[in-house]
Amino acid sequence: MRPFTYTNANNKEQALKGANQNSHYLGGGTNLIDLMKEDVERPDQLININNLDYKKITVNKNGGLTLGAMLSNSETANHLDIRKNYPLLSMAMLSAATAQIRNMATNGGNLLQRTRCPYFFEISMPCNKREPGSGCGAKNGMNALHAIFGYSESCIAVNPSDMCVALAAIGASVEVEKTDGSSRIIEFSDFHRLPGDHPENDTNLMQGELITAIHLSKPIFSDHYYYLKIRERSSYAFALLSVAAGLQLNGGIITEVGLAMGSVAHKPWKLNKAEAYLSGKKPSQANFEEAAELEMIDAKPFKDNKYKVEMGKKAIVRALTQAYERKA
Amino acid sequence: MKTLKKSGTGAAIDRVEGHLKVMGIAKYASEFPVQNKVYAQGINSTIAKGEIISVDTSEAEKLPGVLKVITFKNAEKLKTFEKEMTPISTTTIAPVLQSNKVHYYGEYIGLVVAETFEQAQYAARLVKFKYKEDPNPVINFDKSRSEAYKPNEKSDYALGDIKAGLSDADEIVEVTYNTPIEHHHPMELHAVIASWENGKVMAYASQQIVEDATIAISDTFQIPKKDVRVIAAFVGGGFGSKLNVERHVILAVMAAKMIGKPVQMTVTRPQMFTNTGLRQHNEQKMRVGAKKDGTLTALSHETLSHTSSTLEYQESCGMVTKMLYKVPNNLVTHRLIPMNIQAPFAMRAPGEATGSFALECAMDEMAWKLKMDPIDFRIKNDTQIDLSTNKPFSSRLLVECLRIGAEKFGWKERKIQPRTHKNGNWLIGYGVSGASRQSPYLKTNAKVILELDGDEVNATIQMDATDIGTGSYTIIAQTASEYLRIPVEQINVELGDSNFPATPGSGGSWGAASFCNGARAACEKAIKTLKANQNIKQDEEVSVADLLKKNKLKRFEAEGSAEPSEAFRNHSVFSFGANFCEVWVDKDTGMYRIKRMVNVGAAGKILNPKTAYSQIIGGLTMGVGMAMAEQTRVEPNFGNFITRSFADYHVPVNLDMANIDVVFLPEEDKIANKMGIKGIGELGITSVAASIANAIFNATGKRMRDLPITPEKLIEAKVEPGITV
Repeated sequence: MRPFTYTNANNKEQALKGANQNSHYLGGGTNLIDLMKEDVERPDQLININNLDYKKITVNKNGGLTLGAMLSNSETANHLDIRKNYPLLSMAMLSAATAQIRNMATNGGNLLQRTRCPYFFEISMPCNKREPGSGCGAKNGMNALHAIFGYSESCIAVNPSDMCVALAAIGASVEVEKTDGSSRIIEFSDFHRLPGDHPENDTNLMQGELITAIHLSKPIFSDHYYYLKIRERSSYAFALLSVAAGLQLNGGIITEVGLAMGSVAHKPWKLNKAEAYLSGKKPSQANFEEAAELEMIDAKPFKDNKYKVEMGKKAIVRALTQAYERKA
Repeated sequence: MKTLKKSGTGAAIDRVEGHLKVMGIAKYASEFPVQNKVYAQGINSTIAKGEIISVDTSEAEKLPGVLKVITFKNAEKLKTFEKEMTPISTTTIAPVLQSNKVHYYGEYIGLVVAETFEQAQYAARLVKFKYKEDPNPVINFDKSRSEAYKPNEKSDYALGDIKAGLSDADEIVEVTYNTPIEHHHPMELHAVIASWENGKVMAYASQQIVEDATIAISDTFQIPKKDVRVIAAFVGGGFGSKLNVERHVILAVMAAKMIGKPVQMTVTRPQMFTNTGLRQHNEQKMRVGAKKDGTLTALSHETLSHTSSTLEYQESCGMVTKMLYKVPNNLVTHRLIPMNIQAPFAMRAPGEATGSFALECAMDEMAWKLKMDPIDFRIKNDTQIDLSTNKPFSSRLLVECLRIGAEKFGWKERKIQPRTHKNGNWLIGYGVSGASRQSPYLKTNAKVILELDGDEVNATIQMDATDIGTGSYTIIAQTASEYLRIPVEQINVELGDSNFPATPGSGGSWGAASFCNGARAACEKAIKTLKANQNIKQDEEVSVADLLKKNKLKRFEAEGSAEPSEAFRNHSVFSFGANFCEVWVDKDTGMYRIKRMVNVGAAGKILNPKTAYSQIIGGLTMGVGMAMAEQTRVEPNFGNFITRSFADYHVPVNLDMANIDVVFLPEEDKIANKMGIKGIGELGITSVAASIANAIFNATGKRMRDLPITPEKLIEAKVEPGITV
């Protein structure tokens, strides 16, 4: 790995002050350090932010919970209030990686996980995300793991996070501190971005901004929820495709629905059409199937990932069915 | 005389070296505290074919700690291959950095040596190579079929007339199976610490066969074999990748010579894909012909694989088809395409693991066509003669393995019609496969040193055998305990040093039989000599302590040697087994779970039920990996592997493994060798993938003929004609 300077930040002021154009905040390091070993990430400076006090879960003004950015994925997913009120989030987070990685990985870091596209990982191959202007190797290469929605000419990579798929389904916002000392709130749906002409940017974060918290919306899917993760082995595998589904029912009618799909786009893919279709309808197999059809009709697969269209339909129906039957 | 029930062969004792591993005392290659060692990092090519036209080392050489940058320009001259295509063996030379030519993506093209590992790694990134790239590398298997050639006369085999056999058949199955490129990936990375002293090489190296490593190193450097010493005291798995000397060993020895300091080189996990061998993609075309009553009339097994552009390796996938069943017309062929991909080499039951997948799936397909139970179909075609050699099997309990396994597993509960056994969203299927694995036995030498301590004797066994995690230390100690009649606690086993008596090392499931018989021969020789010297009758029972006393000796050494008998050569010696599994397939998502497995094996004398059980568990796990997950993908435009770590090269996790029941049938086979030991290590993996694929068919009605069987493939697959969804 390339040499870099390493500094410890004991408070957010130190962290923000130390940040420069080629520095990275170091949380769990479960993704960043791997990428540095592969020479994909080449920071001059790492600022360790593990001493910062963003490790609590508190009640926020929307009646939801706020997750500290430096809390580990394990502590978050296993927290009693999360398990009780946001079981969909807990389920998604516990499906990710391994226990060891979840113990290290932080909530803020999870939002910044980079793609698993093999062209991104191998520095001798072209990749616009890693090296803007070098081209996309995947488009005419191996693209079984790639996007079917929202991609661009320059990039067809997907976001690999499980946690983020659940966050997209349940609704959230991200609080960040800016280098000038002010802070801002980014709606979760605006946090990650589609690749467009700038696939090097996974998110809409500005240089030096520090994630301090994730604010969850009011819990409405604590009864009917399911996170379906389709993968090649039972643990320690990224999703081929995943669906987070949450339902709120009243008198046999769907009053609220949260649906998002993972591993199909550059960001967690909110299933807006399916949500709109199901809202106010009965939770039936036929309605679930129709919702899935409506959504997947927009999919535009590549040579190797055609399976994702059929898999996506089946996964939407299954996740909704499981969510409904969970506590019917 | 002490009772030795608890420590002789057959006893389920704990590993004698287990505590050393748990406490971190056992030393693996890179852990030896060699003074003044420095670190080497290999540099890999980033094109599949071409020439290096310039090298710029200036930036790397400026870095602190960097001692040397070695490329083809300044490398030591080594022996190179005389032929354009050289068959690989366990003693093949490993020339490296001898020209500016690049033969495959990831080939070593340089080496940086530095004071620290980190300095070497960083500097390796800064060496700049310019290439003249060949625009037409051979990296596409499908498009290169016309380049296929027949490696040698033994690549083909024919019995009877395959055409006649097929025209004689009432039913024919003609299908093609594919197994992908796979990598060995032992947990312990390949590693070496090499040094030179007075013109002699010393190498701590993670190798399966230290004797052959000394040959390969001395031949490569053109020095006498006696001037090379290799130590591999503990090896953290090899799976075939450490049978031969790979180029990192030669690079470290070369660098040590050029710098005059001991050099450590550890291959990184990404380099374990590009520089330590692989299993190649095999396309296996099967044809099976049978009569309505299940009598086989024809079997043919035609394999198309690839090798590198300079080194030749043929995995004998068809081997199993030659000998497992009684069939009058049999055709086996192997063809290779030379490609700009690293040379393959033996991996995890080479031949059997991949060949049995094709054969045992094809047998299942034929049984389905014949509407016959797949176990009955196999039993009907059993043979006690190996038709490929016309030799009788020394022992063969395939039928018993199938029958007893069926009983244990509850095979009669199987629903014959696919998609009829359901539980919620799950489709449930049962699968079976027969297994055979060659049981080689090779000449082995050993030394025993007896030392009298009061009324007790402590014994040391020395041989250059290796323990690659299999339990060699333990079973050799048990053998010595049995033949010296002293408790295992008084036996010290020393292995993995090429200065010790020569053995064939570990590989091909020959280790246990060879090592134990070698140790037995040394112990027998010691006792025989001690008795003869005092005119004691050979059949008289005298303790080894008393023998030393009568000889007035405090210490006594003897060397013994064991080798295959005439009877061994006149028989076909194989271990046999059967795999059963129950698989639950999600009807929509394509995910599946292997719920339980029963493995029955007949492998001669079981030396230690604990280590033997572990061997089978390991084999089954590799079989599950082969079926479910393992594959290395070649990028079609660049020729590199896009799977580069354990995050994307999937091996099974604990959750993927089933409830496993392992059964060993009692079997006495004195033809195999005096102690009746047969190979066990690779029996476990053989045909596991077939039993899983067959169970998936029974569950879903889908024939999954291309490994690994992943959710995306299952979703896209169609059910076989005549099966209703």
